[in-house]
Amino acid sequence: MKSKENNLEKNISRLVKLAGDSNEPSEVFADSVVKNALAELKGTKAGPKREGSGKFTKVKWTKIVAYAASIIIVSGVVIALTVPRLKLVRDGKVSWSQIGEKGRADEVTGTFSMPSDASKKVAARGQEAYKRDKIENTNAASGPVTSARQAESSVEQREDRANGAGLLAEYSVTQADAKVIPPVEVVTAARRHAEPSVGLDMGSIGVIGKLEGEKKPPVPILGDMPVIGGSDKAIDKKDQSWSYAKAEKEEVRGPEALALKSLGGSAGRKPAFVDTPRSFGLDIVVEETKRAPGVVCRPAEPGPGGYPMAHGGTTPPNGEDVDAMFFKNYGVNPFVDTEDDRLSTFATDVDTGSYTIVRGYLQDGHLPPEKAVRVEEFVNYFKYNYPAPQEDVFEVYAEAAPWKFGTGRKNSYLLRLGLKAKRVSEENRKPAILTFVIDVSGSMRRENRLGLVKKCLRMLIERLRPEDRIGIAVYGSRGRKVMEHKGLDEKDEILAVIESLHASGSTFAEEGIRIGYGMAESAYKKDYINRVILCSDGVANVGQTGADDILEVIKKKAEKGITLSAIGFGMGNYNDVLLERLGDKGNGHYVYIDTIAEARRIFEDNLTGTLQVVARDVKVQVDFNPEVVRSYRLIGYENRDVPDEKFRDDKYDGGEVGAGHSVTALYELKLWPDKKGTVATTYVRYKHADTSAVTEFKSPMAAGDFNESFGSSSSEFKLAATVAEFAEILRKSYWARGATLETVLERAQQLSREFKGDADVIELVDLISKAKRLMKKTDVKPVETEEDTN
Amino acid sequence: MWGEFLKREIPQLYGMFMRRWPNPMLAEELVQRTVFDAVRGRSSYDPSRGSPEGWIFGIARNNIRLEMRKRASRGSVDGDISRYIEAIDSKPLPDEVLERKETGTVVRAALNRLENKEQTVLRAKYIEGLSAYKIARQMGITEKAVHSLLYRARISLRRELKRMAAV
Repeated sequence: MKSKENNLEKNISRLVKLAGDSNEPSEVFADSVVKNALAELKGTKAGPKREGSGKFTKVKWTKIVAYAASIIIVSGVVIALTVPRLKLVRDGKVSWSQIGEKGRADEVTGTFSMPSDASKKVAARGQEAYKRDKIENTNAASGPVTSARQAESSVEQREDRANGAGLLAEYSVTQADAKVIPPVEVVTAARRHAEPSVGLDMGSIGVIGKLEGEKKPPVPILGDMPVIGGSDKAIDKKDQSWSYAKAEKEEVRGPEALALKSLGGSAGRKPAFVDTPRSFGLDIVVEETKRAPGVVCRPAEPGPGGYPMAHGGTTPPNGEDVDAMFFKNYGVNPFVDTEDDRLSTFATDVDTGSYTIVRGYLQDGHLPPEKAVRVEEFVNYFKYNYPAPQEDVFEVYAEAAPWKFGTGRKNSYLLRLGLKAKRVSEENRKPAILTFVIDVSGSMRRENRLGLVKKCLRMLIERLRPEDRIGIAVYGSRGRKVMEHKGLDEKDEILAVIESLHASGSTFAEEGIRIGYGMAESAYKKDYINRVILCSDGVANVGQTGADDILEVIKKKAEKGITLSAIGFGMGNYNDVLLERLGDKGNGHYVYIDTIAEARRIFEDNLTGTLQVVARDVKVQVDFNPEVVRSYRLIGYENRDVPDEKFRDDKYDGGEVGAGHSVTALYELKLWPDKKGTVATTYVRYKHADTSAVTEFKSPMAAGDFNESFGSSSSEFKLAATVAEFAEILRKSYWARGATLETVLERAQQLSREFKGDADVIELVDLISKAKRLMKKTDVKPVETEEDTN
Repeated sequence: MWGEFLKREIPQLYGMFMRRWPNPMLAEELVQRTVFDAVRGRSSYDPSRGSPEGWIFGIARNNIRLEMRKRASRGSVDGDISRYIEAIDSKPLPDEVLERKETGTVVRAALNRLENKEQTVLRAKYIEGLSAYKIARQMGITEKAVHSLLYRARISLRRELKRMAAV
């Protein structure tokens, strides 16, 4: 919540100053005022003789009252212009009007603040970026820009380069002390992006100044400010009209006039510049020198509060480092006494993205962030060879055995519940209408993510049948339809279109998704698989970048039968939470593809399961018998929790299960001593994918069915246990205290012999040993705790 | 000439503003505004009408008048400060709150309850007005660490402020 941070910072800064001991200004402050005043003297001629400087200030203030919208902007400019020199104002209000959607005038207001050291820093960044740019592309940087479009594209190029070059990390500290002196020209109102979590749009503006002691180049400074209201639709430059004209008509004098002059009068229009300060999901949209109101506000500070907020959650990427990873920590399920709550309810989850992501981390030699580990996705990554049901849609498999994991708990049992969906042979798969929405923003160029997307699409196309249809939409700075739906009989054409995609620009995911859904809707056919497939690295930085707004759209369409598969590509700034939630809401699922082998797993080995859903809103409720079970703990599924009473509420969203997919859930149980009888009854409730008929069935399990010992359980059971232990340790679960990867590794090695060269298990062994080494390195000691009495 | 003149006058101006409103942030702002006005309007200085000191103090008094007018148009602040402190995340504190004696007391008490490091960084940043880079050098940590320390310090201070204000 950026505004919250801003207010806090501002207020604290004002409060702490109260604690200063004297009535003397601080030396730093006094020096900077003197220095800046001197710079001002050098830089400008004395203004025309006025009746008194107080007078024009008075004019200024009365105007604020009288013409708030226009004049405040202008004074905002003045203030902003002078900020680098005079540290004049750190915060204030700003407002202007703009023509938004359908010609409606939006009044935009907001606040800003500008700590001077931050502005310097931004300036330094800009200089660095500019120099780099100059070397690389003299034309784009220095040539006069004749059209807004041209400016935009040059901006995009530079943004891409900045991204690609990893520029962000490279600003040196010494340059941060560089000083901006006048003349300063306001170039452009730059961009808007949304901050849905606080209902704010962010706007920003570019200013070009000159570095002290440097004749050239001019230094771009990017400011950033929250503006309230407006619509993301107004991003189109044509829709942006600022109230500059109004200001122009007013008789203004003093700094205002100067600012206006520098705005309107800077004839040699400078190209809009792009620096890529860390908090920018950047899209420069407007390059309209004449009308730019020139509101410079808080320049990009290094994240709210000077430090990135806790990653993840619904926190949108805005204001975050572009390389930040977004994971959400859903916590760890506790033990629940059956006396308090005998029912455990959750929605199924067939996602596997978490495992793939963690694999990437480990293979790169890093321990994954704990939040990236979702135990159920680890467990579900592996195949447990449950026999597929012939008649019914689902079959439940249960197995349990004594289990010792971590210190502090004795007499624990592990219960594994497996839910297996019926298979659909490839010939019997329904024909599919697939709409691909492909992220072609600049970030997709990294590590050849787009290349991987293309490979996946080619692979998929080879597996599709002639009656299937494919349409393609892409999004970069804007969303765009690339290819109407075509049948697979026009395969060559489809392949050519895929080949022609290239990555550039920023990421306007929302628009791309909307266009994709629009296409899917017009191509919709009953009795087909209607699916939108989003291929992205998950970084949405323009439009509604937080998930909530897109989610609403997706949810509505899912009700109409258009489902969504979210496919994550590329390590690094891969937005895990966003994609996972998109997949959830879209009644589809989400996978993460990091290698071509992973693509094969999803598109070749299991295409039918990936495409054809056999059951929707699948919910599982386990009823533990309090006579036998003392307490239980669901391992994983923290973000799939369904309130017990919603189990039979068919409007309540559950999980979707594809043909042949299986879902495995693990419970840790504590039993009362020597009890016989039913341990647990599993209820499964789902909607049939085609008929939407709701079915519920139950499957009881008796204590007698328990394995005598862990050793006598099936290999698959042991595998599930091992994977869960691995995940629990990686995510430093409370329940994993005292557990070590050594034991887990040993068991995995043994299992890999039992599974005779199953590639997944071999890989698991490798990952566990990697993690073990890394944990040693980082000196993570398992926390020893007292044995509890049970 | 200007340099010396300003060096001499800035503390005077600052003191003058502080006596009027004991609010360092506002005083700084008014000093800046006054100096800026003076520099920009330097051609309005007429030696026959008085000394430069008198002239710049005239500008300062003008700014005080403007500030008073601005305040008059705003509602006045009443009640105890705790409700303003409660809303520290959501809206800017009114100047009047900052100028209350008790606010200063609360802030000093809250600051003293923080860890040394957090106190140091807050003072360096907001009282001495040092840049993160300079603070980093002084404290012998990285700039990034300064930012994260500042972040934590603000959160801690907020907590203590709320606690102290509620008393």
